[in-house]
Amino acid sequence: MIEDHEQIEELLAGYVLRSLSGEDATRADELLSDHVPACGRCRDTLAGFQVLSAELALVTPPIAPPETLLPRLHRELEPVPRRRRTGQLVAVAASVALVAGLAGTSLTQFVRAGDRQARADDMAAALDLARQPEADLVPVGPATEISTPGAEEFYLYGTGVQSPPAGSVYRVWLVSETGTTYAGELPCEDGVVFLAVPFDPGSFTELMITVEPAGSSPAAPGDVVWTTAAAA
Amino acid sequence: MRDGDREDLELHRRLTTGDRGAFDELYRRYAKAAYGLAYRLTGQQILAQDVVHDAYMALWRAPEAYDPARGAFRTFFLSLVHHRAVDTVRREERLRKRQQRASNLEPVADEDVAEGVVDEAWVAIRRREVRQALTTLPPEQRQVLEMAYFDGKTQAVIAEELRIPLGTVKTRTLAAMRKLRRALDQEDDV
Repeated sequence: MIEDHEQIEELLAGYVLRSLSGEDATRADELLSDHVPACGRCRDTLAGFQVLSAELALVTPPIAPPETLLPRLHRELEPVPRRRRTGQLVAVAASVALVAGLAGTSLTQFVRAGDRQARADDMAAALDLARQPEADLVPVGPATEISTPGAEEFYLYGTGVQSPPAGSVYRVWLVSETGTTYAGELPCEDGVVFLAVPFDPGSFTELMITVEPAGSSPAAPGDVVWTTAAAA
Repeated sequence: MRDGDREDLELHRRLTTGDRGAFDELYRRYAKAAYGLAYRLTGQQILAQDVVHDAYMALWRAPEAYDPARGAFRTFFLSLVHHRAVDTVRREERLRKRQQRASNLEPVADEDVAEGVVDEAWVAIRRREVRQALTTLPPEQRQVLEMAYFDGKTQAVIAEELRIPLGTVKTRTLAAMRKLRRALDQEDDV
């Protein structure tokens, strides 16, 4: 247990800024559960730093988000019954193998305009990558990990994927010798899953797809539904 | 408590009942600040948009995550956005590449700064106060604070990049946080 409040406050400052790593992060977690709740001075310090952290956000110039963002949020506020909407959503072909044969086809024709455009661009990049002779295609359950040697990111793509249970989401985790790293939520829409993962595929040894409660904090992997060794 | 904070509390209360009007009002109040912060950290519009989207969806799905007893709503929400943006940056694990992108940020068509911003008045005032307070920090303290907060770097990475001991990064960070807090508390008292 750290007794020196100077050290404790250093850790609290780093914790609030989310800038701790390794042993310091572990020590901060211990402090937050063991010491801070019972120490008025530390509670005040932590609260003050948290307010300060939020106020630092005001320093950045406010920028109007794209006009498509609020409508996108509205669509998701109340889940609609899932049904296939031909030609409307990201019904991007049947499988990587089939898609690989779509050379010359404009992917964007399958994708709704507006805020989906960027994701469509990512999908197009993924499918372009899948066509490359040096591409590594590794199955992860019903999805496929698409990467190339030396790449600093990879893609997860799949079709015909069963939606996660109501109130749950799929999440992607990377397993390495030093632990697991959360890589992002894997959206599943009309059976299509897609995620661009900005990681060097060589930096982990295994990839896991989990199912976890929607909105929960991805602190640790939930129930693993699919897993595989990463591409060499 | 500021009027804005009081109004936020009422909006949050309505949000817990599933009031979409309250959601829209909280979006109107904080989406620009949230997006500006997320964009500053990620350097990419698509990532910034995802960060803000995820933060608002998290708020909608679990409004009870905000406990009014623990501070103002904006503190909670902008911290949530910051944490998600930092996590996004970390996921990239390619800070050097991101720095290159950040130095050549994608043009934002409707960047809404300074006079053009439609802020709550107190937000605009507070923005000026925080910016002013930052200028009072010694450069070496401001540097480590900004690298942590706005670049999403860990203290270990900061120490490595600046070639200074990790302990020095911690000391400077704490000193910066204390000084800023004092400066802003004084502004509050005015």
